[in-house]
Amino acid sequence: MVKLTMIARVTDGLPLAEGLDDGRDLKDADFYKQQAKLLFKNLSKGQNEASRMSIETGPYYFHYIIEGRVCYLTMCDRSYPKKLAFQYLEDLKNAFEKVNGSQIETAARPYAFIKFDTFIQKTKKLYLDTRTQRNMAKLNDELYEVHQIMTRNVQEVLGVGEKLDQVSEMSSRLTSESRIYADKAKDLNRQALIRKWAPVAIVLGVVIILFWLKAKIW
Amino acid sequence: MQPPTGGEKPPSTYHGRTLTPVSSAPQLNPQPAFPPPTLPGPPFATSNAPGLISGSQFRPPFSSSQPVPGGTTAVPPPPPQAPFLAGQPVSGSSPFAPVGPTFGASATTSPPIRFNGPSSVGPTPARTYQQPEVPRFSSPSKPVTPLQSSYIRGPPQTPIQSVPMAAPPSQIGNQLGMRSNMPPPMGSASSLAQQHVQGFTNVNQQRTIYQPPPPPPPGQMQFPNVGTAVALHGQMQFPQSGATMTAPPQVQFPSMGPQVGPPIGSTGAIHSLVEEFQSLSVGAAPGSIDSGVDVKTLPRPLQGDEEPTRILESYPLNCHLRYFRLTTHALPNSQSLHARWHLPLGAVVHPLAESPNGEEVPVINFGNAGVIRCRRCRTYINPYVTFADSGRKWRCNLCQLLNDVPAEYFSALDASGRRYDADQRPELNKGTVDFLAPAEYMVRPPMPPCYFFLIDVSLASVQCGLLEVVAKTIKSCLDQLPGSPRTQIGFITFDSTLHFHNLKSSLTQPQMMVVPDLDDVFLPLPDDLLVNLSDSRNVVDSFLDSLPTMFQENPNVESATGPALKAAYMVMSQIGGKLLLFQSNLPSIGIGRLRLRGDDVRAYGTDKEHILRVPEDPFYKQMAAEFTKNQISVDIFAFSNKYCDIASLGTLSKYTGGQVYFYPSFHASTHGEKLQYELARNLTRETAWEAVMRIRCGKGVRFSTYHGHFMLRSTDLLALPAVDCDKAFSMQLNLEDTLMTTQTVYFQVALLYTSSSGERRIRVHTAAAPVVPDLGEMYRQADTGAIISLLSRMAVETTLSSKLEDARQMLQLKLVKSFKEYRNLYAVQHRLSGRLIFPDSLKYLPLYILSLCKSWGLRGGYADVSLDERCAAGYTMMVLPIASILRLLYPALYRMDEVLTKPSEKENIDELLTQVPLTVQCLDSRGLYLLNNGLSFILWLGRMLSPDLINGILGGNLANFPDLSKVQLNENGSEVSKKLTKVLKTLRQKNPSCHQLVHIIRQGEQPREGFMLLSNLAEDQSAGAASYVDWVLQIHRQTQG
Repeated sequence: MVKLTMIARVTDGLPLAEGLDDGRDLKDADFYKQQAKLLFKNLSKGQNEASRMSIETGPYYFHYIIEGRVCYLTMCDRSYPKKLAFQYLEDLKNAFEKVNGSQIETAARPYAFIKFDTFIQKTKKLYLDTRTQRNMAKLNDELYEVHQIMTRNVQEVLGVGEKLDQVSEMSSRLTSESRIYADKAKDLNRQALIRKWAPVAIVLGVVIILFWLKAKIW
Repeated sequence: MQPPTGGEKPPSTYHGRTLTPVSSAPQLNPQPAFPPPTLPGPPFATSNAPGLISGSQFRPPFSSSQPVPGGTTAVPPPPPQAPFLAGQPVSGSSPFAPVGPTFGASATTSPPIRFNGPSSVGPTPARTYQQPEVPRFSSPSKPVTPLQSSYIRGPPQTPIQSVPMAAPPSQIGNQLGMRSNMPPPMGSASSLAQQHVQGFTNVNQQRTIYQPPPPPPPGQMQFPNVGTAVALHGQMQFPQSGATMTAPPQVQFPSMGPQVGPPIGSTGAIHSLVEEFQSLSVGAAPGSIDSGVDVKTLPRPLQGDEEPTRILESYPLNCHLRYFRLTTHALPNSQSLHARWHLPLGAVVHPLAESPNGEEVPVINFGNAGVIRCRRCRTYINPYVTFADSGRKWRCNLCQLLNDVPAEYFSALDASGRRYDADQRPELNKGTVDFLAPAEYMVRPPMPPCYFFLIDVSLASVQCGLLEVVAKTIKSCLDQLPGSPRTQIGFITFDSTLHFHNLKSSLTQPQMMVVPDLDDVFLPLPDDLLVNLSDSRNVVDSFLDSLPTMFQENPNVESATGPALKAAYMVMSQIGGKLLLFQSNLPSIGIGRLRLRGDDVRAYGTDKEHILRVPEDPFYKQMAAEFTKNQISVDIFAFSNKYCDIASLGTLSKYTGGQVYFYPSFHASTHGEKLQYELARNLTRETAWEAVMRIRCGKGVRFSTYHGHFMLRSTDLLALPAVDCDKAFSMQLNLEDTLMTTQTVYFQVALLYTSSSGERRIRVHTAAAPVVPDLGEMYRQADTGAIISLLSRMAVETTLSSKLEDARQMLQLKLVKSFKEYRNLYAVQHRLSGRLIFPDSLKYLPLYILSLCKSWGLRGGYADVSLDERCAAGYTMMVLPIASILRLLYPALYRMDEVLTKPSEKENIDELLTQVPLTVQCLDSRGLYLLNNGLSFILWLGRMLSPDLINGILGGNLANFPDLSKVQLNENGSEVSKKLTKVLKTLRQKNPSCHQLVHIIRQGEQPREGFMLLSNLAEDQSAGAASYVDWVLQIHRQTQG
């Protein structure tokens, strides 16, 4: 069963439309929405991702397709047939391109095509029940080769970005620490110098004072 | 008297500065102008020169008052005298009486008092006004000598007038300009003159009476003005004690005086004084009251609301005053000054006010730069920010933090530090803009507009024809509901059970599901109770068609409002939106059940009185909190002809940004039109959804209390599930620091909302106000409209926690305290013993406060207004914008018979209608009157009104209409009726927020409806409250004590 539906622009992760009252019967809808948004952000970073992908997260699957720089994403139960989910996204894609195709690039504000939510709502209802005649027929249809679609874990996907973040963080840490190291080395150097010459200087000083005292007293 | 003479240094306070020019202007003047003649005189002669000069300047007023004390002695200036002679006989009778007699009275009795008075009271006021006074009263034993010497000095003084004619005026003007710390545009003499003339024409009839028939030179015109208030009382002694001595110079220079004098006076000194305050003659002693006040001279707001546009002259970048108004557009700079300003200090915000000429608010999209805001205080960029570092940084005007300008937004600065693109960018040159909010401002995608109707279908609703009107109206509005094609709609009807309606688009007929279980409400369907309107349009249509007939036979009298609200909440909680509750009974079963109360007379006047006005059952407040959390706003339409506890039901609206509509004893045939219009307006007006509002202000001030319909989230965030153009909010200000260092305080109202089209926007209004060290300036910049708006809300809130009497006393106390403070500022210096003085800006305040005390929400006690009506009025007053509340408090009364019968070329209705004061005396039994209080019209037919006119209006003989209160006014063929309809239409267009139903009242019949008119006559004595005259006297007495 379809839980969430979101449409976003790949180039900058700008949300374009979202299903109406999504997450009504979902306890932690916000958490998954957040995850979906992270996913969009990842996609917008330009990593070459497959145009169709399934990502597992908790008890659900994210399915998405990227077409014409727009990402159509839905979240379904694990038990929901993959084939239907992608069929659903295809339907959305066709309608969305037909209605808003020309304005996708120029959209400047978030949810510029929020009016599309009524269509999402309607289409979603068609796919609610997997056992309707219509959906059964689609399941049996071998048009879409969904077996090829990769399945990955959400941690893995989001992890890529995370790892990159880690690397950059580490490198920056390295820079700052090497600077500290340089400072410390300088300091040590000076201390070593002092340690080396201090006794000599003291002895010399004592001798000079003695001489001076001698000259003064006598 | 001597110690405070510290005041002889250049006066430090503001009012001192503007005042001094008047009395000391001549003094300042003569020294450069004619040192030789003045110097030889005795020391106080020079200082008395002002008295003399102003004496000659003010000759017109003198001569006008002279007839009283001096009889015929003063003949000289012919023009001014003429009117007075004409006026004299009249003065004996009634209207003009106060002018002459009062002056006379106070003049004849006062001299001794005055001479003692100031020296004993001295220290308080003396500090600013020392200069002229010290010399004058330092030798009280021989008051005549200085006068004499000064008057002898009269002749030499003429050279000034004739010789350097050009110099003095400009000098005075300059001095005034230099000395006033007002911003230049305000201080300049010309603008002052303008304002003054304006104020003059619409303020006071008393003054127009003074005007001499041959139109005097412009400068002279203004004289009487001053004369009435200040000059006369200040200098009355001269002509009086030295009446004989005055004569010679006057005779000698009969023409010179009035002609030459005025230009000097008119240059500014007088204006500043005139602007300083107004006064009302209130009888010399508290004992002789009746002769004191002339009803005709009392100030009346016949123009309705006047926006204080002066502030826009000094801060032209402020947002329009319809969006944001301060109670005084000059903020106090210290706590102590604030404490002396006894009126509320605060603001009235009307964030979505409609522009009368359809002006659009510019919409700005920052794109990738994001909305530009201050890092620290989150202020939005506005016209008052300054750019620095050649345009790379901007300084926040609220918190002074230097912020970076995003690269996308960068623009170079010109030589004056202004951005080159400032003119192209509305956010840098307009006080009101809409920003498109980026995704960070959304918790969820923008919601669709959603309307949910909760309709009581019990017996009462069916009987009064409510269902039919509601169903018809909703159906007619379906096409205009905003936000198509996303709009959602749904219905629940209820009596003792809940009826859900399945509006699934695939159905041909709606299905009704009845849920009798009220204890544990559940939804019989998961969805399709709230449906997309454009998809399910046919089903909705057929539902609305069948709604009136569906429950025709319903004998059920119960009303399960509480469970119905819960069910509606369950349906709507995912989306939010507007919930419209149509209630025609007291909620009688299920949770939230209410009981009859309010019929207990004994509760009134006791400490328990207010309990009747607060919700009885906490259920409603809890429900309201839940609603707000889920972005649901509740509008209540109540129709009961019995008690239905508006106090409790209204709580739902109060905390969800809704509105309460109350139609007592509703019947479709009479009130149908009103309900139809108001429901349609509610559904189709532009609404902002899931909104939050915050108002930020600069350092040193803080908003402390908010009044209106909203839920306060955190300390300063107003949650408004839905807000529209008919709702205003007000808030009170507090000073945080003891002393403010800044010159200007900035305010920024930001309303984040979702428009019906599904765009998330931020509406930002920015305004600035000066900080002043002087109370006089605060009074000058006071805004009666905003003060009344704030006071009315405070009073309504007071009635929720204490007695009505307490609320009224609170209002009166505030008024008295503030006038007393003002009196202390000025009165003693001018010895205005028998006058009530008040700032020009607050001249209508006493009247408005009086009628506020008489308004439905606050008037009388148990018997005067039914509890429901009182509560409904209270809820209405909490949301009304300034103009509407003023109109409600002081309705417009027009005499119509002449307008309707006389043919006129003027097409403009506004020009035809002239407003008359709201008292019974103004009602002529031969006339036809129309009263417009913004919420309803009352057409009053005098007893002796010509039958033709009545027939024309009613479209039939009067005898055919046994009960006029049930008559609906329709246009019929007659000319009169056509014209009347046109007038009504024009008046309605001025206030589109509600429909003014016409009530026809014939004099002497219909006691109940007659009362309706009388209760609107704010100036008459009613419901235990004083009449306007008595009220003014009362206030005067209290300010003196």
